[in-house]
Amino acid sequence: MITVRGLTKRHGDILAVDDLTFDVRAGRVTGFLGPNGAGKSTTMRMILGLDHPTRGEALIGGRPYTSLRRPLCEVGAMLDARAVHPARSGRTHLVAQARANGIPARRVDEVLERVGLAKAARRPAGTYSLGMNGRLGVAGALLGDPSVLVLDEPVNGLDPDGVRWIRRLVREQAAQGRTVFLSSHLMSEMQLTADHLVVIGRGRLLSDASMGEFLAAASLASARTVVPDPEGRATLIRRLTSIDGVSVEVSASGELTVEGRTAAEIGDLAHYCRVRLHRLSDVEVSLEQAYMDLTARSAEYTAGSAADPTAALAAPNEAGRA
Amino acid sequence: MTIPTTPVRRADPPHAVPEAPGRGAPAGFAGAVAAEWTKLWSLRASYLCLVAGLAITGVFTYYYASIARINEHPVQPVGNAAASSAVLVQFAVVVLATVAVTSEYATGSVRTSLLSVPRRHRVHAAKALVAAVVAFVAGTTFAVVGTAVAWVGFDGRASFAAGASLRQVLAVGLYEALVAVLSIGVAFAMRHPAGALSILATLLWALPGILLGLGGPTLADLDDRLPQGAGGHFMRLEADAPYGPATAVLIVTAWAATAHLIGLYVLRRRDA
Repeated sequence: MITVRGLTKRHGDILAVDDLTFDVRAGRVTGFLGPNGAGKSTTMRMILGLDHPTRGEALIGGRPYTSLRRPLCEVGAMLDARAVHPARSGRTHLVAQARANGIPARRVDEVLERVGLAKAARRPAGTYSLGMNGRLGVAGALLGDPSVLVLDEPVNGLDPDGVRWIRRLVREQAAQGRTVFLSSHLMSEMQLTADHLVVIGRGRLLSDASMGEFLAAASLASARTVVPDPEGRATLIRRLTSIDGVSVEVSASGELTVEGRTAAEIGDLAHYCRVRLHRLSDVEVSLEQAYMDLTARSAEYTAGSAADPTAALAAPNEAGRA
Repeated sequence: MTIPTTPVRRADPPHAVPEAPGRGAPAGFAGAVAAEWTKLWSLRASYLCLVAGLAITGVFTYYYASIARINEHPVQPVGNAAASSAVLVQFAVVVLATVAVTSEYATGSVRTSLLSVPRRHRVHAAKALVAAVVAFVAGTTFAVVGTAVAWVGFDGRASFAAGASLRQVLAVGLYEALVAVLSIGVAFAMRHPAGALSILATLLWALPGILLGLGGPTLADLDDRLPQGAGGHFMRLEADAPYGPATAVLIVTAWAATAHLIGLYVLRRRDA
């Protein structure tokens, strides 16, 4: 388990990470989301003892990373897959890490086999493709059979097979009861991989919720419908837009996208106004939409500084809809 | 929409302490040293530095001895040739040690090193120790080879005493080891090879050259306080040294220790 408490990092005038507090629990995959520059990598580096926090602390199993005697046997990390000396072979890169942690060399060959790098193991890492470097990074993270995994953008540069392989791997690790904390900017991939989400923006915590909760919070009443008759369409739009907190978009083909009401409610309303509908369905929100909604809302709040941006998430259904 | 299902929680206690492979094998400082050793010898640059050092030793000591013979210098201990070659040969050690640090910063692999050994003083000490041991072995080897080559070049204008020669060989090894520690410290403080090498070249080469070139007792005095000047006083067997060999060793050690502490300070304070 990783505990982050009041973690803050200031670079000069810029607050890269601002008072983050969250837990990463064992037995599930926790996704770490945020736009570029939100402070994800800085947070991970502070968890791993590479960057010094300005304030606050990050603990792994109750202890700071830097106090672990055999850190690789407790935490496996992959930050930048390309951070390998190009003249050194992938195997030597791992052997050096293994030796520092008292891990036998045969374990190095085991993990190389596991990530599918056994054949290229003795080639200089400079000749590896981005995908192979990614696999080498994962091999390094698995080296000490750790109970905690911290992976920064692990699918970067991997082909679709590799992406699926990472997904299965981290799900399997979590199912074994390990703690998995991974960042990714690929929303669809994150939706398939993570059980829990920690979302940050501009260094601040925007959301710490399970995937289900996160999607439910964002997927407030949104529906799509087609109204064949233009007059009926106008009536329905008029009735809908007169309600507070409901917005309607009309596409070129005459399809309405209604935010703020469910398909059932729209159906009832259409029936009441005697408007004919063709096709009526609830819109299911993808993680990408939910995430965009959240960051957009938090940006509004930050810009207007009307309220704490976390309030946007606490009451997402009321927030920022016109 | 698919909401990933939460994995089935197992009833048995979670995977809190994995069966870490190879528990009992050394970790800690011994592990850190082993890791540094592995990294150093996996780079061709390390071998190249040592081969270059050997070549410079051979050429310099033969040249030194031949000049002494041709100009009919007074008879001197044969080990002086190798001791004098250390002035040049130290740059093989300087480059080897510097690159061992700066290449990690250049490639970003320093983060991997700090992840596997998160106590920074341990990484620093392990690197310094490995570089010092390699420099000591290389320095003594160079000195033995240099002494043999010089013996040929002197062709009778040098004296040989087993005890004195052995002392000089060990002195060269010690000097090179201290220069290695100095270089590791400067490299950790600077992180970039250009910065580190210019500081080291100034301290070990340009500054002594300027001080002695300008001449005068004050500047010569100052040079005696620099690592290379002091090193010369304990590697060469001289009658007119301003202080004893023990003091000379202490001066070079103080330089190495200072650089080590500055490097450690920077390594601990700065983000990796």
